[in-house]
Amino acid sequence: MMRLTRFAALLLSIALLQACAQYDNKRGVEVNWQDTVMSGLQTGKSTRKEVMDLLGPPSQVISMDGESALYYLFANSRGEGLILGVYNRWNIDTRYDRAIFFFDDDEVLTEFSTHINDES
Amino acid sequence: MRVAALLLAALLTGCTQWYYELGEQLDESRLPSASTEVPLQAVLDQFGPPLRITATNSGYAMAWEHWWIREQSVGFNLGALGADFLSVDYGELHLRGAYVLMTFDRDHLLTSANYSEWNSRGGGGQSIQPFAEIVDVVDSDDIRVELPQHEWGGDLLAPITKTINRQSSTTTGQSGLEQRATPVDIGQRSLELD
Repeated sequence: MMRLTRFAALLLSIALLQACAQYDNKRGVEVNWQDTVMSGLQTGKSTRKEVMDLLGPPSQVISMDGESALYYLFANSRGEGLILGVYNRWNIDTRYDRAIFFFDDDEVLTEFSTHINDES
Repeated sequence: MRVAALLLAALLTGCTQWYYELGEQLDESRLPSASTEVPLQAVLDQFGPPLRITATNSGYAMAWEHWWIREQSVGFNLGALGADFLSVDYGELHLRGAYVLMTFDRDHLLTSANYSEWNSRGGGGQSIQPFAEIVDVVDSDDIRVELPQHEWGGDLLAPITKTINRQSSTTTGQSGLEQRATPVDIGQRSLELD
């Protein structure tokens, strides 16, 4: 009987040691290039100043001769963990919300594209 | 008593798996052909903004990537064999992914489009260590680094070796692209070694 009690206590201890965890980690420029904001932009008309006024400073500026590109990046990592002691498992999923805008020599928008993950 | 010892041995055995996914899946069938004049905007509409971009002498190079990384390790204590202070560990790294690289000329027309994918073992190791796994036998830290856009502004505050190498740095968007896990001791980053 004593042994059985000890065994039960051990099993209970194991059960108490089990855990799960969840976290998320966000880096970059806050996403605010939703459709409502972007609908005001037009290639051939909008300027770099208008884009900067709408979205703020970018993550990166790229230049080629007179042309330039503004890149906005927001990285979102989500992790889930199962900790059983004998078996432990972690899943970490990183997705990238991003937007890029190209401007010609006159700082007029020539091309642009945005992408936001549904889970954001 | 034997059952308890067996149970204790089981408790001292552990398996850990880490799964990482970076980016979204890429579809080779959607890759445009460079033989027809494909404008940059059409590519952006289809693939979205690239994850990596650099200006080149003749235009732009852009890359999209998807990585799936699995780290798994198993370890057990040698207590059952009378060596309580020793831990045996085995680890393995598996990599799967795809990469799309496209280049554009100064008129923003597609000049090349390439797709590659891989599914391979990325290394691993085994060890006998005191008490627990103190040194990792599997490590993917160098693959899971953040995208270079996050470092763009801070590059000028980097250690002097990196700052001197800025004109050749792959994090500026002006001097080329670099895939994850590219060794740093040769090529454009070799000057950055401390």
